Amino acid sequence: MNVAKVLPAALAISLFAAAPAGADRLDELSLDRWAKLREVERYQLNIAEKYYREKNYKVAAAEYEKFLTLYETSEGAAYSQLKWSLCQVQLKKHNTAIKEGFQSVVDYWPDAPEAVAATYFIGQAYKDIGEIRKAKKAYQLVLEDYPKHLAAVYATVDLIDLTTISRDEKARVQLWKRLTFETTRSKEAKNICVQASQQLATWSFEFGSFEDGINALESTYAEEQMPEQIRAYAGSAAGRLLKDDKTQKRGLQVIDTGVTWIRTHLPEIGTTDQEKQLARSQYYAMVDLQAVSGREQKVREIYDDILKKFGASDETLLRLGNWYKTTDRWDAARQQFQKFEDRLEGQNQVAQSYRQQQNYQAAVAAYQKNVAADTENPTQWTAQIAGTWVDAKKYPEAIAVYTELLKSDPENTEKWMWQIATCHRYAGKYREAIGFYRQCNNFPTNYQEMASCHRALKEYNEAVILYNQIVGGAPKSAPWAMLQIGYTYEKAGKKESAIRTFQQVCRNYPKDRYASQAHTHLQNQYKITVTLGGAADK
Amino acid sequence: MTEIAHNQTVSDGRQEVRAQLRRPGVRLCLSLSVGFLVVWQVCQFLFGWVDWPVMRTWAARLGTSGAFIIGLLWVIWVLEKGAHFFQRRWVAGLPDRPVWRPKPKNEAIPGSHPLDPRAWYYGRKNQRLNQSVAMLSTYTATFFLLFLLLTRIGGCSEAYEMPAGGGQQMTIAQTVRVQKIIRKKFIVSSFSPISFKVPPIDEVKLQLMEITEHAYKVGYGEGKGAGFAGGTNSGMVRFIRLEYAGGDWDQDFGIGADVNMLIEYGVRTQQKVAKRTESRTIAQLKNFPIEKSPPMVYLTGQKSISLSDNEVRILREYLLDKHGMIFGDNGGSAGFHNQFVGMMRRVLPNVRPSRVPLDDQIHRVPFQIPFLPYVAPHGGKDALGWRVDGRLVCYYHPGDIGDAWTDDHSGVAPEIYEACYQLGTNVIFYAHAEYSKWLESRQKRK
Repeated sequence: MNVAKVLPAALAISLFAAAPAGADRLDELSLDRWAKLREVERYQLNIAEKYYREKNYKVAAAEYEKFLTLYETSEGAAYSQLKWSLCQVQLKKHNTAIKEGFQSVVDYWPDAPEAVAATYFIGQAYKDIGEIRKAKKAYQLVLEDYPKHLAAVYATVDLIDLTTISRDEKARVQLWKRLTFETTRSKEAKNICVQASQQLATWSFEFGSFEDGINALESTYAEEQMPEQIRAYAGSAAGRLLKDDKTQKRGLQVIDTGVTWIRTHLPEIGTTDQEKQLARSQYYAMVDLQAVSGREQKVREIYDDILKKFGASDETLLRLGNWYKTTDRWDAARQQFQKFEDRLEGQNQVAQSYRQQQNYQAAVAAYQKNVAADTENPTQWTAQIAGTWVDAKKYPEAIAVYTELLKSDPENTEKWMWQIATCHRYAGKYREAIGFYRQCNNFPTNYQEMASCHRALKEYNEAVILYNQIVGGAPKSAPWAMLQIGYTYEKAGKKESAIRTFQQVCRNYPKDRYASQAHTHLQNQYKITVTLGGAADK
Repeated sequence: MTEIAHNQTVSDGRQEVRAQLRRPGVRLCLSLSVGFLVVWQVCQFLFGWVDWPVMRTWAARLGTSGAFIIGLLWVIWVLEKGAHFFQRRWVAGLPDRPVWRPKPKNEAIPGSHPLDPRAWYYGRKNQRLNQSVAMLSTYTATFFLLFLLLTRIGGCSEAYEMPAGGGQQMTIAQTVRVQKIIRKKFIVSSFSPISFKVPPIDEVKLQLMEITEHAYKVGYGEGKGAGFAGGTNSGMVRFIRLEYAGGDWDQDFGIGADVNMLIEYGVRTQQKVAKRTESRTIAQLKNFPIEKSPPMVYLTGQKSISLSDNEVRILREYLLDKHGMIFGDNGGSAGFHNQFVGMMRRVLPNVRPSRVPLDDQIHRVPFQIPFLPYVAPHGGKDALGWRVDGRLVCYYHPGDIGDAWTDDHSGVAPEIYEACYQLGTNVIFYAHAEYSKWLESRQKRK
């Protein structure tokens, strides 16, 4: 056996085989089984796999069928049958896939690894077509017969999804527990189990006991990671509980328990930077969790504690400032930002806070300080000034700044050109905007904008010419451009041309969403029923 | 005020009312108003009788608007006359109360008659304005309450009966007939000065024609003729569409539109069908008793669907308890898709929509449909289904199938509109066959 030839082919299959979402590796042929195939079998299977990868499922199914006819007793027969069934699923023939495909795998090759996968895929196909009862039955079969198999993990995930439809919370929690505590966390199952433990933790914090939530998280995270995870999951649960007056008390209880848990598990503040950073991050988790409660005094106390123990680092000041912003104390926030060791970043935060408050003049002043202070990279702050003027809808000022950038930062000429064009457009100076858009190279977006400007100037012929260029040069945007031509003709009062163009959209791109718009427009606006569309989804 | 004077006032009031009614202008207006109502109802009946559903709908709309305006004018007239009457009495120093009301113990207390602008509840300032606003609000509220009562709370009970008969729930066999077309032969003189490209002389073009053959009856159960077990001799397949608030439920309704589908269904299945399509409000679905309710109702549009909680309850009861089915069709917008899915989420909160596969029974029986045909992909390219215990209780077509049933077929290719007719036939048949099975199982249980 030429392993050098077999290995790349098998790897290609395993890497590129398009599996259904969440079912990776169940539809793959193992390397040792691939090695058992004869050369002619591998050749035929490779052809089928090629079409499968290209999503040409009709041809792929025919090739898999050919394999089955020619090499019925081959090691790859069960695999071929499985892949044929998956092709049927892709061709929207779920019932055929189940009855003539997956079931055949189970019946004829009960000992093959594909039989497990086929049982799972039966459940998935039933779920896809809404046959919930049959899907549950198939999944239960997987859980009972192959509890340690990867298929059982996928089946559990799908069953959890089904419990959300039927609103069976009890069953859902049981399934989460199964994935969290009972499932072996293999490479493929790891992410699923982690997700289940997070969901179980969130549910436990919100409706169950805090201890269960901690246990769920501890199954996934190391001790030093726990405070951050408690903040995330207990915080989100408490946030939801606090929204309702009836559950507000429980929400506060969750926060208090969480904060107490973190406090009791705080590590010693060591001497190394790494140890200090770890301890500080746990304090941050505690303060962030407390912030969810909205009890300002308690939050302030923890921040004071942090400042006392670790000093006023930029990170702490940023967090404190951001917290002040959430409590609408903008001046206090800016006071913290101004204490930054990194002056530029501090000033940037000050400017951003002004922008958030829509105090654009003050924001520009703050950015200007950075322009003067940052001799290495003043461009980024100048760009921020221009952005602030755009936010303030002061387009002439923004254009002036962008023009300045055009000279000082020639490397990003296109970017600034686009911004100038956009500002001109917002300011209603369409002719100037067209001039700048024309100098940009991002076809067809610049043509779309230019055409739109021409329409605003009532220069409909020019707009149509540009849209036609999009139709010819950008096939993906062609349906949209064609529809726009119709609207442009309509604006120009050329109703017959507009109708013809809308009909052309329906006829040329019947499967596109713009055909739907054209069809509706023809019916509503012109009362024309003959829209010339029509297609079939094969 | 003496008793004699009071009697005199009563007499004056009555005489005034009589005098007003005797005036030719008022009499004419009264006659015209009554006449409008009569003409409106006659038109409604006639349009229904001659099967002009669009005209009937317009008559209903215009009639309702007209009735509202006429009623409003009469309210204004009565208000004006009443106010004048009370004002004259007040100027003449007569008591505020109307002549037909018993005399209060204390004559100085302001009246409470709604026509009296000085009634206590109109306040002390802008009394006429307050009176007008109050009367307008009361009239509008009363009119709409009456309208809702008459339209929403259906009428008497009605029954839907399927055509009696039987048949098999199987795919119709397709036979292929081979037809040979022999092309014309050209005889060309080799001495001719004209250059002529000689075509192959004996080329035979094979043309394959697929012809549907009715090898068996399309129906369900055992019985004579095509139909359904549990049907009656007077029963027939009817096409009922749902009227709902908020949108254009009557899109492609009536002759030249959905009637074509009903006729095609009759031709293709040989089952008895109604002469015209019908519409019912959601509230009227309640009038159909269990075992006599329509197996399928059609719902289309392109705007929004606005349902009350009661209507949602009626639909749920129709789908689950009465074993009904909704055939939804997106009549023209992505917005309607969301509206429809949202509506179904309210009706069946524990059922999630799923794609209906091409090899599902609804896509195979009686016609094998190899692809999903659509006029425009308003709501995607997949048919959606809501299943309860394996049965499709709702089938949603995303691409305006109703437009393909119209006389001009929206200009789509023949194979597309033919497939649309076949799909329509399949959906109607599926609903009736499932209903027939349900009836049969209920009969057995009894």
